[in-house]
Amino acid sequence: MAGARRLTVAHVDELDRIMPDGFVWRPIRRHFGIRAFGVNAYTAPEVGAPIIEEHTESRLGHEEIYLVLRGKARFTIDGNEHELGPGELVFVRDPTLTRGAVSVADDTAVLALGGKPGAAHTVSAWEAMFAAVPAAREGRFDEAIAIHEEALVELPEHPALLYNLACMEARAGRHLDALLRLKRAVALEPEWAAIARKDPDFAEIRREPGFPS
Amino acid sequence: MTEAGYVILSIDDLDRYEGATDEAPVLMPLRRRTGFRPFGVNCFSATAAGNHVIERHFERDGDEELYVVLRGAATFTVGEATFGAPVGTLVHVPPGTVREAVADDEYTVVLAVGAKPGEAWEPAAWEDFHIAFASRKSGDAAAARVLISEALGRHPNAWQGQFNAACFEALEGEADAAFEHLRRALELGPADVRDYVREDDDFTGLHADPRWPELAG
Repeated sequence: MAGARRLTVAHVDELDRIMPDGFVWRPIRRHFGIRAFGVNAYTAPEVGAPIIEEHTESRLGHEEIYLVLRGKARFTIDGNEHELGPGELVFVRDPTLTRGAVSVADDTAVLALGGKPGAAHTVSAWEAMFAAVPAAREGRFDEAIAIHEEALVELPEHPALLYNLACMEARAGRHLDALLRLKRAVALEPEWAAIARKDPDFAEIRREPGFPS
Repeated sequence: MTEAGYVILSIDDLDRYEGATDEAPVLMPLRRRTGFRPFGVNCFSATAAGNHVIERHFERDGDEELYVVLRGAATFTVGEATFGAPVGTLVHVPPGTVREAVADDEYTVVLAVGAKPGEAWEPAAWEDFHIAFASRKSGDAAAARVLISEALGRHPNAWQGQFNAACFEALEGEADAAFEHLRRALELGPADVRDYVREDDDFTGLHADPRWPELAG
């Protein structure tokens, strides 16, 4: 690849390898700074490993395409199982359908494309939350906080992002910031209060005045 | 699309529409086949190793694009850089950068994803015109005209559609229709159309017509 700029070209195996929750996220959109559409890859090293987490797109209203780049994956879409190999894809139009996939071959890779019809693409908040996972796991909370704050510039009133940032701030010892952030998240979406009451990230501030009751 | 709200297919199930020349990329319309609406997504293949799998172009309307090599391998040129791209390679290209790719293998397939940042995406007319010209090449000009008419109806104020319709009618020997579309294209995008019209071989059959100097001069 002599002569090509690093950020113009990458192989899927050169992308960051982030494990948010049992699956391996390869952040394509974030790597290239793509603004116009949602695109990521997921890889699984071995048979039986989850490759696409079970979820719906009800909240975001996204249509999605999952395309198998290599290996083989067993997709479960709305309860129906489909084994897909290289060059095969599933287009999930209905955002309410539950979808997920498990690798059924070693070294499987799946490309995921997604966006909301009729709307300019906005970067999903979960990308920042996933991207901050390695830093948070390794106790580099300032870095994790910076990733969240960068995302908040575009999504200043995103409850989950605010909540996650509050978690990072609480663990970093920034208790006042965490309380204010948590208060805002709960104001926007009251169900975060019950989650916060059981969240170990807030152990240090649970008895502080202003903690959601 | 099934009633289930999802559809499963292989890229081998996609239609294949050859380009204007034997060396041009083959369009395999994924967006059109699935009905995916958020942004543009299509596959391209080549007619043979050494031919284009992505034609030389830049995105003049502000689309950023990502190319993903799905099968085989390709040699990309992006700006001044040329590099090999095996399966799994991702190539991101901003709008104004000239790019092209040549297939290293006859079975190479490249996925192309594109949209303009900050705007809701709408299907562009180029897909219809690519398919229309492929239909003409295979002898079905009537089907091609239906597609062109539909595309012009959806994009009445785009100079590109009128220009391509003029190309089509010129190739079909319909000079009156060709000049009508060309006149409209010039109204909609005079600078762009004047850039292209003199160099486009599709209009060779119009050069002897007295109306040609008036429009292309």
